[in-house]
Amino acid sequence: MQTNPHRWFGAGQSSAADAAKAGAEAAAEAIGGRPAKAVFVFCSVAYDLPELLAAVRAEAGPEAAIVGTTTMGELGNAGMTVGGLAVAALGGDGFTVHVRAAAIDPHDPRAAGAEAAEALRGLHDPNRVLILLCDGMADRPNDIVRGAYSAIGAAWPMVGGFGADDRHFERTFQFCGAPNGDFGGDFGGDDVLTGSVVGLALGSDGPIGIGMAHGWRRTEPPMIVTQSKGAHVYRLDDEPALDVLLRRNHFDGTADEFFERGRALQPLGLSRRNGEDIRVIHAGDDEERSVWGTADVPQGALVWLMEADRQALLDGATWSCTEAIARLDGLAPLGVLAFDCGGRRAGLVEGGMQEEIDAMRTALSDAPFAGFYTTGEIARVRGASGLHHLTLVTLALA
Amino acid sequence: MLTWSTHLLTEYFTAVNAAEDEETAIASAVELATEMVGAEMGAVVREGRVLGAYGFGGMVPEAGLLAIAAGESLLDMPHRGELHAVANPLGGENADALIVCRSDDAFGPEERQMLQGMAQVLGLALRSIRVLAAERHLRAEKERQATTAQTRQRLVESLLTIQRAISARRPLPEILDAVTGGAAELLHCDATVALLLAEGGPDRRLSVASTCGGTEGGPMYEAAARAAMTGGAVLIHPDGADTVIAAPVRVTGEMAGSLVAQLPGGADQYAEQRDQLAAFAQQVSLALTDARTVEAVREAHHDPVTGLPNRALFLKILNRVLASRGTENDPTSVLFIDLDRFKAVNDSLGHEAGDQLLALVARRLRSCVRASDTTARLGGDEFAALLHDSPVESATVVGGRIVAAIKEPFRVAGREVFIGASVGIATSRQPVERSQALLDNADVAMYRAKKEGPGRVLVYEPYMHTEALDHLSLRGDLQRALREGEFRLQYQPLIRLTDGAPTGVEALIRWHSPTRGFVSPVDFIPIAEEFGLIVDIGQWVLETSAAQVARWRREFPDLGLNVNVSGHQLVHPRFADNVMRALAIAGLPSSAVTLELTESVLMSEPDLGKAALHVLRGLGVQLSIDDFGTGYSSLAYLRELPVDELKIDRAFIARAELTGEDLALVRTIVELAQILGLRTVAEGIENAAQLSALRRLGCAYGQGYHLCRPTDPGDLPARLARALVTHPRT
Repeated sequence: MQTNPHRWFGAGQSSAADAAKAGAEAAAEAIGGRPAKAVFVFCSVAYDLPELLAAVRAEAGPEAAIVGTTTMGELGNAGMTVGGLAVAALGGDGFTVHVRAAAIDPHDPRAAGAEAAEALRGLHDPNRVLILLCDGMADRPNDIVRGAYSAIGAAWPMVGGFGADDRHFERTFQFCGAPNGDFGGDFGGDDVLTGSVVGLALGSDGPIGIGMAHGWRRTEPPMIVTQSKGAHVYRLDDEPALDVLLRRNHFDGTADEFFERGRALQPLGLSRRNGEDIRVIHAGDDEERSVWGTADVPQGALVWLMEADRQALLDGATWSCTEAIARLDGLAPLGVLAFDCGGRRAGLVEGGMQEEIDAMRTALSDAPFAGFYTTGEIARVRGASGLHHLTLVTLALA
Repeated sequence: MLTWSTHLLTEYFTAVNAAEDEETAIASAVELATEMVGAEMGAVVREGRVLGAYGFGGMVPEAGLLAIAAGESLLDMPHRGELHAVANPLGGENADALIVCRSDDAFGPEERQMLQGMAQVLGLALRSIRVLAAERHLRAEKERQATTAQTRQRLVESLLTIQRAISARRPLPEILDAVTGGAAELLHCDATVALLLAEGGPDRRLSVASTCGGTEGGPMYEAAARAAMTGGAVLIHPDGADTVIAAPVRVTGEMAGSLVAQLPGGADQYAEQRDQLAAFAQQVSLALTDARTVEAVREAHHDPVTGLPNRALFLKILNRVLASRGTENDPTSVLFIDLDRFKAVNDSLGHEAGDQLLALVARRLRSCVRASDTTARLGGDEFAALLHDSPVESATVVGGRIVAAIKEPFRVAGREVFIGASVGIATSRQPVERSQALLDNADVAMYRAKKEGPGRVLVYEPYMHTEALDHLSLRGDLQRALREGEFRLQYQPLIRLTDGAPTGVEALIRWHSPTRGFVSPVDFIPIAEEFGLIVDIGQWVLETSAAQVARWRREFPDLGLNVNVSGHQLVHPRFADNVMRALAIAGLPSSAVTLELTESVLMSEPDLGKAALHVLRGLGVQLSIDDFGTGYSSLAYLRELPVDELKIDRAFIARAELTGEDLALVRTIVELAQILGLRTVAEGIENAAQLSALRRLGCAYGQGYHLCRPTDPGDLPARLARALVTHPRT
């Protein structure tokens, strides 16, 4: 843990089964008795969440804002955990923190994004970033991000991720606790929410660096999405989508079999100017011969199936960290928040996840970092697109 | 090779075109365009306002964006510095544009091109959304008039589709399919519609020209079509559990077929549909006529059938000749030639034979004029000849030559055909002569010539014009009279002289023209005959009176009907059919009907007349010779015809007091009739003395003011009843 008398960043992890214990352990490691301004909690849905939060709050003190989300895995300097907990915390001079939470209206997901983005209001620091933690079961993640973007505009970057629930895909939770019980939005105290967007606006007088990379590449030939609705893809090149995917993967069997057997994800890359915008297909219907994923695959889009080998993914991870650090104007990183797509596991099997973390550690020169495995990543630095998949997004602070 | 920019187009198009309102379209377009080019911000400038601004974070630089729309390429943003900006026109009239702004690179040509395309798509989508919204608004406002207006609108749209197909010279089958399809769509979701058209030729078989809704036509459709064509009006009747509606279709005024629709359920719910189909059929008739005339309008100047110049070219040549006259008094003569009896030949031999005949006529015409003269076919059976440097005298000689030449038999379709010609001549009199005026004068002269008899040549005189004007307008008035129902019938009973009992009624046509007042049949029947309108008028008389008498027979069984028939009707190829159809529809037995024919008329077309009369007589219809005793009568001829009755011309008893000579003449006729087994009817009985004299002479029946005047149908039953009472047997 680096010590800096004026500002600090800490990270901690725990695999304890007991919520209170885990919470206390990880928080203590991250906070270390210092007055925290913001605490990030990434944990498994298996925990008793209120209990866990209470333990964290006990360590953090009343002045801290606590935000977080349930995950499909956690990561930090110690490595990857599943069913565990990772905590990051920061404090000291030159940091301003505002929080805001908003419930997602399924008919108007943009509104939640826009409201969470309100957290940025009132910040005057020279460098600002909006960190968004969103419900991973949200129908239209794209719109949530667009909603936030339409509120902030291009002035400030956004980072964040969509939560998970250990791959149950049933219900994810978000945490929002304002300092001193001041609540942003409709929520008071330390709340365990669901179906919500939590925004933490961080202002800093030091540079903020954001990196993102994925390491996936296209496989030719591309296909046109001839029929789709939202995240549901019915036809590719006017053939039933499931048939196309099975054929392209030289697989004979049912949809369940296909998606079970480690090809859990079919990345489809939408062509974009700044590289591909990846969508993850993770399930299919044998009757309908359709498939679906986590975010919308627009009808009419030209898409490529993506592939990756382990090395490419590792390189991507390195690149993401390097990019983030590079934007710190030469300063050494205090710490890094990482939003890593759970889907990267598909290419990083057999110990690959650990390799990725090792790569990150190296790239970050052992600066403290904590993060979680997401169902979608948010990063907007250039351009207007903010939602990503199969990507490692890193937020570096100096 | 695909570049990244083309990849995005389909995605963008799909998203923008799916938008249902302007706001959504603009928002989608701006967001997608911005994201796709990796820009940070985007907006639309429309009608001077900034819409759909994205990525500006609440601080929308309106002035800056308007400047970009006007052509600036850099946008200054606080905290961002300068961004590269590009405005892409939406394609409307104003400087409306889709704008994107990017912080890193300037927009490359490929990107600009893609953005241009995106902007155009947005412009199109917005325009079409606006149109739809306007329509929806209008519809919402007119909700109360929804059904009629909706139907009318759909009818109009349907007809426009057909009209477009016609204007676009689509093949006729396509047009006809649009007809049945449009009708089926309009009437009912489960309607089947068939269009049956009559073929050319003497039997005019009906064939299915187009269907919609899964029907192949069939006997029911054919029967309905024929019924509609016969009745001349739309009819609706049940057919089992369904309803059948049939509306006749006319082309160039002639009955040409019928639209027949079958709809599920009872007929009482389909009053509106009946009107719709009728309106549809009417419009379709116009459209089909249009289609035929469109075919007929030739860009070329020559008539394809005869190879002669057409009217347009003829007038052009005439203009040139008139303009290039050596001296202003050089005579130029125009001959207007009309063929006699061409129509009858056309009808009986078919249009193809008719065309052959026209070609032969054209050849003969050309051989009658100088090589430097021009002959033309004006249309129908009308021809013209232009004789330059030809005074009236030479033109008249040529006219005579033409008439003689056309009188010679023509060999067509393996048989000899005889027609004739009437010629009108007009010669330029004035220094400045309008070609159309000269042709019109020749036309007028020709009409006069025709009126005077077949095979005449007549030179135009100014007085003819006034007569002709009236003549021509009378024709129009007659046509309208039939259409508008200006004709009425009166009935005059025929009385059996022995006991004064009414045995029948004679139907007499009356015309009250709104412009001319009361016009006597003596004046308008000849005109009707001349212009070929007599067939339709006569048929109307027959149908109306047959129906009327059928009704009266409920009260007065055995009441007969006498109907006047023109020789022109008699020689019409379908005359017998028409008569039988009228009787069948009216429910009047043929034995109750007597057709009255004027003796003179029978003489001019003996063969055709005889054939038709034999057919009718065979079917039970009685025949009567009207005005017997005047003009040229051939006793032998009388023997050959299946006549049942002679009507003694009123001239024979015209004198108030009958002389011995009068009586002798009447007796002769009566005895003649008795020998031949014919009935006698005395016309024009105006006093008791005439009545008793005729009775004594053995005349069986009588008509006249003394017995009963021509009466309106409303009053007739009372009269009939009274007649039975006041003339007891003597």
